[in-house]
Amino acid sequence: MPFKIINKLVLADQVKRIDIIAPNIARRINPGQFVSVAPEEDDEHIPLTVTAYDLIKGSIMLIFPEVGHTTKKLGAMHIHEEIYSVLGPLGRSARIGKEGLVVCIATGIRIAQILPICRAFRDKGNRIIGVIGAKTKRSLMLEPQMRLACDKLYIATNDGSYERRGQATDILGEVLEKNRIDCVYAIGSVEMMRAVCAMTGQKNIKTLVKLNPVMTDCMGMCGSCRVKVGGKMVLACIEGPEFNGFDVDFDDLEIRMNAYEENAQWGNLPSEHKTGNGGPKTLTKFLSGILKG
Amino acid sequence: MCVRACPLEINIPGFIRSLREGRVSDAYAIIREKSCLPSICGRICSAPCEVACVLNEEAAPIGIRALERYAADFGKGKLAKKQRLLYGGKKVAVIGSGPAGLSAAADLAQRGYQVTVYEAFDKPGGILRYGIPEFRVPKKTLDHEIDQIKALGVTIETNFLIGHTATLEEIRQKFSAVLLATGAGIPKFMDLPGTSLGGVYYGEEFLMRVNRAKSTFFSRGVPKLPLGQKIAVIGSGNTALDCARTGVRLGRQVTLIFRRLEEDMYVAEEERQYAKEEGIQFASLVKPVEILPDSNNFVRGLKCVRMDFADRDGSGNWEVAELPDSEFNLDVDTVVIAVGHNPNSLVGEGTPSLKINDDGTMQVRDNDSMTSIPGVFSAGNVRTNAGPVVEAMASGKKAAEDIDRYLRG
Ligand SMILES: Cc1cc2nc3c(=O)[nH]c(=O)nc-3n(C[C@H](O)[C@H](O)[C@H](O)COP(=O)(O)OP(=O)(O)OC[C@H]3O[C@@H](n4cnc5c(N)ncnc54)[C@H](O)[C@@H]3O)c2cc1C
Ligand SMILES: Cc1cc2nc3c(=O)[nH]c(=O)nc-3n(C[C@H](O)[C@H](O)[C@H](O)COP(=O)(O)OP(=O)(O)OC[C@H]3O[C@@H](n4cnc5c(N)ncnc54)[C@H](O)[C@@H]3O)c2cc1C
Ligand code: FES
Repeated sequence: MPFKIINKLVLADQVKRIDIIAPNIARRINPGQFVSVAPEEDDEHIPLTVTAYDLIKGSIMLIFPEVGHTTKKLGAMHIHEEIYSVLGPLGRSARIGKEGLVVCIATGIRIAQILPICRAFRDKGNRIIGVIGAKTKRSLMLEPQMRLACDKLYIATNDGSYERRGQATDILGEVLEKNRIDCVYAIGSVEMMRAVCAMTGQKNIKTLVKLNPVMTDCMGMCGSCRVKVGGKMVLACIEGPEFNGFDVDFDDLEIRMNAYEENAQWGNLPSEHKTGNGGPKTLTKFLSGILKG
Repeated sequence: MCVRACPLEINIPGFIRSLREGRVSDAYAIIREKSCLPSICGRICSAPCEVACVLNEEAAPIGIRALERYAADFGKGKLAKKQRLLYGGKKVAVIGSGPAGLSAAADLAQRGYQVTVYEAFDKPGGILRYGIPEFRVPKKTLDHEIDQIKALGVTIETNFLIGHTATLEEIRQKFSAVLLATGAGIPKFMDLPGTSLGGVYYGEEFLMRVNRAKSTFFSRGVPKLPLGQKIAVIGSGNTALDCARTGVRLGRQVTLIFRRLEEDMYVAEEERQYAKEEGIQFASLVKPVEILPDSNNFVRGLKCVRMDFADRDGSGNWEVAELPDSEFNLDVDTVVIAVGHNPNSLVGEGTPSLKINDDGTMQVRDNDSMTSIPGVFSAGNVRTNAGPVVEAMASGKKAAEDIDRYLRG
């Protein structure tokens, strides 16, 4: 089945949005679910959240920053080109109930992941306070869409170039002080989600978080997405990616997220194992490795 | 003897005779009658036939597996389309394109059914594709075998995860019968402190990443995962051995750690010898107890204890037990865990009527492959939890027969 790109936009600094034809996925996708994408044959498959879908066109919308090999390649593809593989919908859908007053908080690129959650909460008749944060005004994205999806939206930028200066969690603290909140939904870095859970834990507010551990196959066959939740190892691609915030072992998650940062540990490896800059030497070495086998 | 030992009942003396008379393509045809993946079996089959070989009593058995590989690689011609018997062109869906699914699909297509295979990965083959490394089953060989099966009229639909992209119920309604051959690809977690650390991988992830990177080494070549110089592989099965041998090919120093004796490993003797020749160190009778972290939360070492046979209650029952005060630290910086699999019954998500046993295997009726849903069958490792390729294939063939019987009423 061809997965054709039918639309492509630049949303913010280095952030791209693409719409892909995938009727089978659009038909079944629920908020909070993701797809696994490989731009070309034999590329790495990466998980990306489906931000929105269009049943008439049969398309899904993905938003991603160009940070690494796969996202750069995906970002370089043009309209009408076909993506090699898109698998989904994956993961469990978000548990969206009638809660009352809900705070949805996300930072940076994760705003793309909270948008469908906000919309789903609103459709269930909840009132929503949105809190989003970004480094600078230039990297802030999806502001109009978030404004439409939330009853009230607070924005923080770390350098103060837009609206409030500071962290999104600072705003959350104030919001929690002033209102009686029934539920908090947080998507962000490990520190951010840990801070959110610490705040809501004091007040005993229901807190849901969406984790982004490194995934390989996204269908429960490799174990790379294992996270400790409620004292047990679970696979985030099968049982998640959404979990109850108070059950998540954030220290463990931090270790898992860090585990794939190559340079953290083996920066001094022979060049063949540094990704990205595969020079000719790398290739020869690798070939000879294979031929030996 | 050997024919009875072979789960696929290949006419072994027959094809060996053909080979001896120099008729390689005849030999191939004889194998092909029973097996739709001869060049795969010729490489990785656990070869129960060689164990049963009549020559075993006198000397070494005949190398049947190697002969099969020869016949398959050199005797293969264009697969002649068999004459099709049409039973009203009934449609059958096969879920999973591992050896079990492919054998069933080929058999069903030969019986005149319209077969569609659904596969979640981007390419068919199951464990043969993403688990077993290139040096044991070259991807080109696998592609060739799959092309042959496609030539029988089997449609293969990839990127399609049953249970998510469509539910089992939807598929059930579209097809007259459904076969679940989803394999046993889920890694068993090991209860060991430190499994979250950087540099700890499960064997499946390790092999999957290497396999996916390797298949076109010209464009990318390097598996995207941080690896140290000294790898410890925990486990004693095929997966562990494959991880170890892959590690060696990536230029690493590999130690294989397992609790049992070397002779008791669950692998073919031949493979074990290869591994030794390749310079893998075998640490038998060793049990890992903790993975030690460094300051960055990466692996610094592996704490182990030695095991030995002991007759603890004096009953003459010698069991493996820990040696007291035998702890030692193994100096490694990557740990690959390959201690077994669980069956992949996730296909039943959203279909509660599909009954699954406590150990995750699919419930089936006695003497039949049908599951708790009428018209839905199951075959391969999802039913048995583990087992060699030939058994998965034999179970696929059996399921094809059962489906045929069911559809003809
Ligand atoms: C369930 C789920 C949903 C996701 N949804 C989105 C989404 O909607 N939009 C989006 O932009 N990203 C999303 N991600 C993260 C996305 O998968 C990674 O950004 C992607 O794997 C990076 O691939 P790469 O090859 O471009 O970069 P790499 O070369 O792999 O890495 C580049 C940088 O990205 C970081 N990174 C790698 N993998 C992850 C990861 N899984 N999570 C966070 N950071 C990572 C690395 O640490 C590194 O610094 C999601 C992840 C999960 C698990
Ligand atoms: C590393 C390794 C080495 C091995 N070496 C040997 C050996 O040397 N000799 C030997 O005899 N045996 C060996 N085996 C065992 C052998 O590979 C298995 O017995 C065999 O592959 C099982 O086949 P299967 O068809 O049951 O399942 P699999 O090969 O696992 O195929 C199942 C397929 O179903 C797909 N699937 C799962 N769920 C879904 C879904 N919901 N929707 C769509 N598709 C789905 C999967 O993606 C997969 O492709 C080895 C196994 C491993 C892991
Ligand atoms: S990503 Fe492979 S098990 Fe979750």
